[in-house]
Amino acid sequence: MGLLTILKKMKHKEREMRLLMLGLDNAGKTTILKKFNGEDVSTISPTLGFNIKTLEHRGFKLNIWDVGGQKSLRSYWRNYFESTDGLVWVVDSADRLRLDDCKRELSVLLLEERLAGATLLVFANKQDLPGALSKEAIQEAMGLDDIKTHHWCIMGCSAVTGENLLSGVDWLLDDIAARVFTAD
Amino acid sequence: MSYSCNSSEAVCINSSNPTKSSPANTSGGGGGGGEGGTESNSKHSPDRLQRNAPAEMKVKQGSHSDATGVPTITEDELLTNSVISPEDVLGLQKITQNYLCSPEQNVHMIDFTRFKIRDMETGTVLFEITKPPMPAGSRKDCDPNAGRFVRYQFTPAFLHLRQVGATVEFTVGDTPINNFRMIERHYFRERLLKSFDFEFGFCMPSSKNTCEHIYEFPALSEDIMREMILHPYETQSDSFYFVDNQLVMHNKADYSYSGGP
Repeated sequence: MGLLTILKKMKHKEREMRLLMLGLDNAGKTTILKKFNGEDVSTISPTLGFNIKTLEHRGFKLNIWDVGGQKSLRSYWRNYFESTDGLVWVVDSADRLRLDDCKRELSVLLLEERLAGATLLVFANKQDLPGALSKEAIQEAMGLDDIKTHHWCIMGCSAVTGENLLSGVDWLLDDIAARVFTAD
Repeated sequence: MSYSCNSSEAVCINSSNPTKSSPANTSGGGGGGGEGGTESNSKHSPDRLQRNAPAEMKVKQGSHSDATGVPTITEDELLTNSVISPEDVLGLQKITQNYLCSPEQNVHMIDFTRFKIRDMETGTVLFEITKPPMPAGSRKDCDPNAGRFVRYQFTPAFLHLRQVGATVEFTVGDTPINNFRMIERHYFRERLLKSFDFEFGFCMPSSKNTCEHIYEFPALSEDIMREMILHPYETQSDSFYFVDNQLVMHNKADYSYSGGP
C-alpha cells in the first residue's frame, strides 16, 4: 500500500495528530478546548469560524480544531475533515430536546469517507448540570452501540470543572497512536 | 488605527506612521490608495517573535517547513514577480526592506483583530492587544501602511520564558477562503532565527477565527540573548500571508528586549 503507508510513516516521524471537535452549537466545544489548555472559561461566545490550538501533549504534537456548530455553519464542517485522526463529538447532556438532532448530525459524519479512519470520542458534556443525562443515557439515546465503523468511546465530562477532559483526550491519543503509529 | 494594549511585561507601539527608524516604511507594491483591508496583524508577530527568538528553527506549528532545500532568492528578484508564492519567501535569507505586496492585494479583507501571549507556567497574560473593528468609511484617510508595521518592546525577562501560548484572532470578509497560509520569518540581524509556517486552510465567509500556538521556549544561548537585549529592534520579522498560494498580505515587526523605549 503506497500512499497510506507513506503518510502514516510521515506522521509517525512527527508524532503529529489532528483532532477535530464538532457538535451542535452550545455543546461546549470551545469551553472544552480552553479548559483543557488552562484558559479562563468565564466568557465564551459562540464560535463563528474556528478555534485552533496547537500544543504538545505526551510527546505528541496536537492540532485541535474547534469549529462552530451553529446550523448555518455545519455545511462548512466538511472543509475540515481532511487528515483528521480523531473526531471529538461534544454533546450537551442537558439538551434533551436536541438529542435527536445531535444523533443525526453525528451519523452523517460517520458516513463521511474522509473521517473513515478517525477514532471517535464522544464527550457527554455538562455533567455538572443537575438536569444532565448520564453518559449511559446518552450512549443509548444516540445509539452509539450500533457504530461498527469507528473505534469509539463515550465519556461524561464537564468543561466547566474540567472533569474527565484529560482522560478523554488521553484515551483518544492512545487509540490513535495504537492505530497509526504502530501500524507498520 | 488604534489598539488597546494591556501588558504587564511588554509595551507595544503600533506605528501607523512608521518612523524612519523602522525597518521598512515603504509600500513594496507602491499602491498608495485606500487601504483595502490593511491589517494590524502585527499582533501576532510577537508570537512568532517569541518562537522565533528562542526557537532557533524549532517549529511547533501544525504544518510547517523550513527553508531547507529551498533555493535562495533575494528580495530584488522577488519584486519583479507579479505573483509571490510561499516557496519564494521561504527562500529569503534576510529581512525584507520593502513590503512585497500592496495593501490592496488583501482582497479577502483578512483583518487581524487580536494578539495575546500568555505564560503557560503561571497562566498570566503577558501581552494582549486588540483592534476594534474599523468603521467602513474610515479607512480612506489612513496611511496605506498603517497597521502593517508594529514595534514591540519587551523586558529581558521575556527571553527567559519557558512555555507560552500565543493567540491570534482574525476576521475574514464575506467570501470564503479556500487555502489560507501564513509564513513568518524571524531574524536577529542577518541570522534567521526561525521560520514559522502554518496552514489554516479553509476560512468561512464573515468568520472570526482564533489560533493559539502553545510551545516551549527553547533556551537561547546567553550570548545571543545578550546581543538581542543590547541591540533593540535588530530582531525583526516578516509575516507573509497567502491565499491559494499567492501573497496577499505582508506585515512587519521589530522587537526590543531592553525593557524600555
